[in-house]
Formats: sequence, C-alpha cells, structure tokens
Amino acid sequence: MIVPAREYKFSEIIADPGIRKRWDKVRRYFFLRESTYDMSNRCNIRCEGCYYFAGEKQFAEENRDPAAWLQLLEAEKARGITFVVLAGAEPSLVPELCEVCYGVIPLGAIASNGLNSLPQEIDYRVHISVWGNDRTSLAIRKAPDMLVRQMANYQNDPRAVWVYTFTPVNIDEAREVTQLLAKGGLKITFNMFSAPVGYKGPLRHTAETLAQTAQVMTELLAEFPETVLFSPYNILAHTRPQGLHELFSCSYPRMNKATDIGLGRTFRQYRTNLQWDREAACCVPDTDCDDCRHYAAGSAVVTARMYRHATDPVTFSAWLDYVDTYLAVWVKGYEKGPNLCDAPVLPPPNNE
Amino acid sequence: MDNDGTQTITRIAEIIINALQLEDVTPQTFDPDLDLVDEVGIDSMDLATIALVLRDEYGIRIDEDDYPKLTTVRIIAEYINTKLTSGE
Repeated sequence: MIVPAREYKFSEIIADPGIRKRWDKVRRYFFLRESTYDMSNRCNIRCEGCYYFAGEKQFAEENRDPAAWLQLLEAEKARGITFVVLAGAEPSLVPELCEVCYGVIPLGAIASNGLNSLPQEIDYRVHISVWGNDRTSLAIRKAPDMLVRQMANYQNDPRAVWVYTFTPVNIDEAREVTQLLAKGGLKITFNMFSAPVGYKGPLRHTAETLAQTAQVMTELLAEFPETVLFSPYNILAHTRPQGLHELFSCSYPRMNKATDIGLGRTFRQYRTNLQWDREAACCVPDTDCDDCRHYAAGSAVVTARMYRHATDPVTFSAWLDYVDTYLAVWVKGYEKGPNLCDAPVLPPPNNE
Repeated sequence: MDNDGTQTITRIAEIIINALQLEDVTPQTFDPDLDLVDEVGIDSMDLATIALVLRDEYGIRIDEDDYPKLTTVRIIAEYINTKLTSGE
C-alpha cells in the first residue's frame, strides 16, 4: 500500500498539471444525478444468477403506456434527475419506451443483452452484457452465438460498450473476448459477478477467483489499453476480499438511510409498474450487499468518496482514474484519458 | 475565528461562490441561512469539493458523516469554529 510521506493540502494535490487537467475534466460531470428504471418484465433469454429475476420486482406489472412514461420522466427531470439508467429485464424489447425517456432526459445508459439492436435515435450509452465466450454463454445464458450476434448488431456503433462480467467459470475466457472486440475496434469494461440475495450457485466468487480475476484484468488492461475501459484502481477496488459496501459504505438508499444529500436523497429505482421502494432502491436490486462488487455500484459509491481519496497525489490520481473510467463507460461521447496512476493504491480506510 | 463569525461566514460564502461558480451573488450578499441543498442546489460532490477547500483553509478534517449536517453557511461556520476550538 502507498503511504503518503506527509499530509497534503488539496490545493497542492491539484497543483500538479496532469492531476489538475483531469480534475477539471471530470468535475464538469458532477451535475449527473441518476435514477434507474426497469423497462419491461420480459427478457428474450434467461441467465443463471440474473438479478432481475430475483426478488419481487420481477412480478411488478408492466406499464407500456408511453404517456405514463412521459409523465414519469418529466417528473424525474423536474426533481433534478439528469441521467437515466434503463435496465431490467431487457429494455430493447420496448424501444418505444426507451425513446420516450431519451426525449425527456438525453443523458443515460441502457443495459442490454445486445441481441436486439436498439434504434439509433436513442443516443444513450448501450451496455452489452458478456458472460464469457459463446460456449459459456450458451451454458449460462442458454443462448447461442451471443457475442457474434452482439457484434453484428453493434459493430461501429459508438454507443456500445461491452461489459464483461467475471464469474469463477469464465476468467480465462476474458482474453478471447477482449481480443475479438479489440479486432473490431470495440470497447469493453469489466464487471464482477455479485451474488443475488440467497444465491447458492457456482458463480459466487471466492478469494482465489478474486485474485485470479485481478491478475487477468491487469494483463488485459496492459495489453489492450485502447479497448479496455478500466484502471488499476478499478481492479483493486473490485477484487478485494471485502465488497464495495464494506470498503466504501454504499450510498444508495437501500444501505444509506440519510436523505439529506446525495444518492440517499435523489436516487430511485423504478419498477416496471412505475413504482419505487426506498428500502429496495439501489443500482442492482436484490444483490447480496456483502458480495456486491458491481461496476454500476462502484461508479457511484467510489466516486462519492472523493474526500477520503484527497490525501496525496497518488491516491487522488487513482480516484481520478476511477472517475474517468466511470464517465467513459456511462456517458456517450466522454473519452477516457490515459490512466494517471499505476501504483497499487488500496482503498482508504472506511470510518463510516 | 473572528469573534462574531462574520469574517468566517463571508469567507465560506466566497469559497462556495468560487467552487460552484455562482453568479449574481457576492460573499457579502450571500444569505448565510440559505439552505445549500434545497435553495442553492448543491449536491454531495459539490459539498465534498467545498469540504476540501475548507480543510485547506482552516486545517480541519470534515467527517463524511457530517456532510448532511452542513446545510447553511452559518452552520458550516459554527462547525468550523467548534472544530478549531476543540483542536480536532
């Protein structure tokens, strides 16, 4: 672990020209206020360990009335939401509703399995989920030729980022997938399988698979810097034995009772019936919080902990790399810069 | 800290105005009792930025748990005063 040689003032840290430039770049996006929306209770595939089909939300009635969605999104905009995440179960099954959302709040991302091509008019980031090579996808997701079909649907599409979810059974396949995407000039980022509540299957990570995953991520980041949207600090933060909540104290309402400021105040997770429940509201509901290493969670939770990372130039650079990565992954048109920090920075102590 | 806290209040207002690039307000005209979240519109990242500048200025550490309490310039000034007095 890097131990600062002395205490630094924040003004000293950002006096470094490289840090200052990156700080000025990322802070322009501090206005982002997210909420997430389940768009449909249907999916065209059924994956083992799927978060959507865990818990109660899968039973919510589906509201397919564009006028109701328009009314909801306008209300969301009025209460200050500037970024939408359209997720469960498969948003591409209801493109007309995605289009309504885009018409009201033009910044956002859609989580999709990529088997349907979303209309170009919906100019959000599109996150395409990958759970291994096509043999493993067939076994886990029961769908053939997933990567081939995803790449056909989103070749040369600047909206697309592939999200590779590392499980204990696909660690060695990440190279094959990354190579394929690199050849196509496409982008990939990394996610960690995080067990849904009550999940007892084989995809839950162990200390050994976390370490193996960190090793492979490190290799791929070094070998494919133009393709992989990640940083050394992302790797460390997401492959520790402790989950994100233990490391950073999750700021989503489900684990954060404070309603005064930040995500605890503004974040909502709407179900397909356009209702939301504060007790269940987080970026990936029904995840076992002790096992949560989701990329979506980290994007908010690590970013929110800026103060504790502003201890010295190295630690703050690592945090800037994390935020730069998160913005590149989530905001279409945001270009990730080279990582500033290659040093092994461990998450600062969590005193909350 | 100045005895009546006026200088501190003005300086905190100046820091907030600079950090948030607020227009049409000066440190002298900034209402110290305005609710920073509800009426000025700051969020957690803004507040973290302000907290770092305050840390530089006053040499105090602002606990992340304390952010939600810091709702007005006057309350921030009192918070700083308490920290300075207690030597934290």
